[in-house]
Amino acid sequence: MWLVYKKEMMELLRDKRTLILSILLPTVIFPIIFFFVGKFSGDRAQEARVQEIKIAFVNSEEMPGLRDLFTSEKNFKKVNIESNNYKELVLSKDVDFILEVPEGSLAPADSRVQQTVNLHYKGASQLSNILSTRVKKIFENYNNVQRNKLGDAFNIPNASLKAFNKPLEVENKNYASKRERTGEIAGAMIAYILILLAIAGAMYPTLEVGVGEKERGTLETLLLTPMNKSRIVLAKFAVIFSASFSSVAFTLLSYLFWAYIFTNALNLDAIGFLANVSTLDILLIGVLLIPLTSIFASIMLSASIYAKNMKEAQAYMSPIMMLGFVPVLVAFVPGMELNWKTAMIPVTNVALAMKDLIKGTVDYSLIAVLLASTALIAGALLYFVTQFFKKEKVLFRS
Amino acid sequence: MIEIKNLAKTFAYDKKEAKARQKKVITDPREGEGVFHAVKDVSFNVEPGKVLGLLGPNGAGKTTTLRMLSTALQPTEGQILIDGKDVTKDPLYATKQIGFLSGKTGLYHRLTVQENVEYFGRMHGLAKKELDERLDKIFTLLDMHSFAGKRADDLSTGMSQRASIARAVIHNPRVLVFDEPTTGLDVISAKTVLDFIESYRGTDMSVIFSTHHLHEVEQLCDQVCLIDLGESKFFGTTEEFSAISESGDLYSSFLKLVEVQKEVA
Repeated sequence: MWLVYKKEMMELLRDKRTLILSILLPTVIFPIIFFFVGKFSGDRAQEARVQEIKIAFVNSEEMPGLRDLFTSEKNFKKVNIESNNYKELVLSKDVDFILEVPEGSLAPADSRVQQTVNLHYKGASQLSNILSTRVKKIFENYNNVQRNKLGDAFNIPNASLKAFNKPLEVENKNYASKRERTGEIAGAMIAYILILLAIAGAMYPTLEVGVGEKERGTLETLLLTPMNKSRIVLAKFAVIFSASFSSVAFTLLSYLFWAYIFTNALNLDAIGFLANVSTLDILLIGVLLIPLTSIFASIMLSASIYAKNMKEAQAYMSPIMMLGFVPVLVAFVPGMELNWKTAMIPVTNVALAMKDLIKGTVDYSLIAVLLASTALIAGALLYFVTQFFKKEKVLFRS
Repeated sequence: MIEIKNLAKTFAYDKKEAKARQKKVITDPREGEGVFHAVKDVSFNVEPGKVLGLLGPNGAGKTTTLRMLSTALQPTEGQILIDGKDVTKDPLYATKQIGFLSGKTGLYHRLTVQENVEYFGRMHGLAKKELDERLDKIFTLLDMHSFAGKRADDLSTGMSQRASIARAVIHNPRVLVFDEPTTGLDVISAKTVLDFIESYRGTDMSVIFSTHHLHEVEQLCDQVCLIDLGESKFFGTTEEFSAISESGDLYSSFLKLVEVQKEVA
C-alpha cells in the first residue's frame, strides 16, 4: 500500500497544476490578493472621507446659517455655477453637490415651520455614498441648531426638547467579545473557505488516481499485480486525503501567518481576532477536517473509479461539490448553532463547530459527538469504496 | 503449460439496460435473459516455448478470455490451469506467473521509464537486488539504458512500447499475454514488439498473442485458436489452420470459419 501511495504522491507532486492549485493559490496568492484588494478599497474609502467636495449654492442667502456650515467645514469648496441645468452640471462633474434653497425660504427657526431644500448630486457608487454621508452630517448639524432655536422660541425646556426629538435613547451594553462578534461572520466564512478547499483540493487528485488510471491504460496493469485491491484503493484514498488535507492545513497555517503579518507588521486590525484563537481550537479545526475530508475523498474516489472517462468523471464532480456547499451554507442561516441535533448533520456540523471554535463559544462535548458521527460516516464510505473497487462491473465498465 | 478448459463468462445487465434490450430485436446468440454470455465455451492449451495466436473478429470474446486468464475477471465457468494449478482458485499465483501487455496499456507519464518499471517490479514483490539485476538485463535486451531516466511523457512511441514490454516482464513471468499489442503502432514500433515475442520462442515461457494481423500469426505463432461469438471454433497448429481453406492461406481459413458461423447463425 505504501508503495502505491508513494508513487501516486510522487506523480502528483511532479504536476505543477496540483502544486499551484492546492498549495500556492490558497496559501500565498489568495491572501496576497485579498490583502491588496482590501487595502485598495480601504484606501479609496479613506480618500473619499477627506476628498474635496465641490458644492454650489442657489439662493443660499435665504439660509445663510446653512451655507456657512458647509463653507466652514474642511474640504468643502464653494463653486459658482452659471447654468440652472443642475443635472448636466452634476453629471459633467463640474460640481459634486448643488444645494438649492427655494426663493423666499426662511430658516425654520425664523419661519417656525418646516422648510424644504433640494440637494442635487449623483450617488451611484459606494464612494459617492461616503461623500453624501458627509453632506448629510452637515444637514444634521444644521437641524440640531435649528431645533434648539425652535425650542427657545416655543419656550420648550431642554429636557422636553430632548424627549421630543428622541423619545427613547438606547445605550448598548453588548457583552459579546470582539472575537465573538467578528467570529460570527468571519467564522462561518473561514469554515466555508476551508470546507470548499477540502473539496476542491480532493478533486484533481481524485480524477488523476481514479479515472486517470483508466484513461492511461494503467489500471488494468495495476490490477494484475499481486497487490490486494483493497490495499490499492486504500492507497489511492490516502493520496486524495493527503492532498486535500494538506491543502486545507497549509491554508489554515497561512491564515494565521497572514493574520500575524497584517495585524502586527501592517497594523490592519480587520483579522486581528484570529490572533485570539487558541492553539487547541486551531488543532481542533484541523481534527474536524480529517473525517470531513475522508467523506469527500471516498465519495469522489467512488465516482472517479465508476466513470468511464474523464468527461464523465468531471460531470459527477459538480453535484458532489454542491453536496458539500449546501450543508455549509446552512451554517450561515441566522440562529443555526451547534447542538445535539445539528451535531449529527454531516458537513453542517463541521461548519458550525468551526464557526464556534473561531468565535470561542464552542461546547467541547459536542465536538466529541460530532467527531464520532462524522467518523462513522467516513468509515462506512471508506468501506463502501473498497468494496466498489472490487466490482468487475465498475472496473471494466463499458 | 497453460490449459484453458471450457471457459465461460457471463455479464448481467443492469435493470435499465435489460429493459431497453427487451424492446430491441436481438440477433446475437450470446444474449440471454438479462445477461450477456461474452464467453460461452473456450478451450485451448499452450506448451512452454510455444506462441499461440488468438484470432477472432471484434467482440468475439478474445479480450474477455485474456482478462480471465490474467485474473482481472473471474470466470463464470471453466478452468484455467498453469502448470496444473487452477488459477481461479489461486489468483495470486497467476499474477506472479503472467505478464500482460495490450495496445491500450500505458505508462505513468510523470514517472521516468526506470521508475515505471521499478514500480511494477516492486508491486510484484521483487527485492532490491533482484530488481536491479532484472532491470539491467531487460534494459540491455531492449536497448533501453539511453532513455531509462526520461519521463514517460517525453518518449517516442517506440520507446514507450519498449518500456511497456519491460514493465510487463520485469517479474520474470512464465506466461506472456499480449492483447493486440501492435494495434495503432507504426511499422518500426510494431517490429519491436514482434521481435520481442519472437525472442521467447523455444524458451520455457508460453506466449498467448491476440491479433487481427494474420501476417503476424504466420510469422510468429506455432498454434492458433479462433474464437467467434464467445466460442473457440478452432484450435490447432498454424499449418492445420491454413489447411482449412482450399487456397491454404490464413486469411481464407479465417474467413471460411467465421463465414460458416455467420451462416449457422
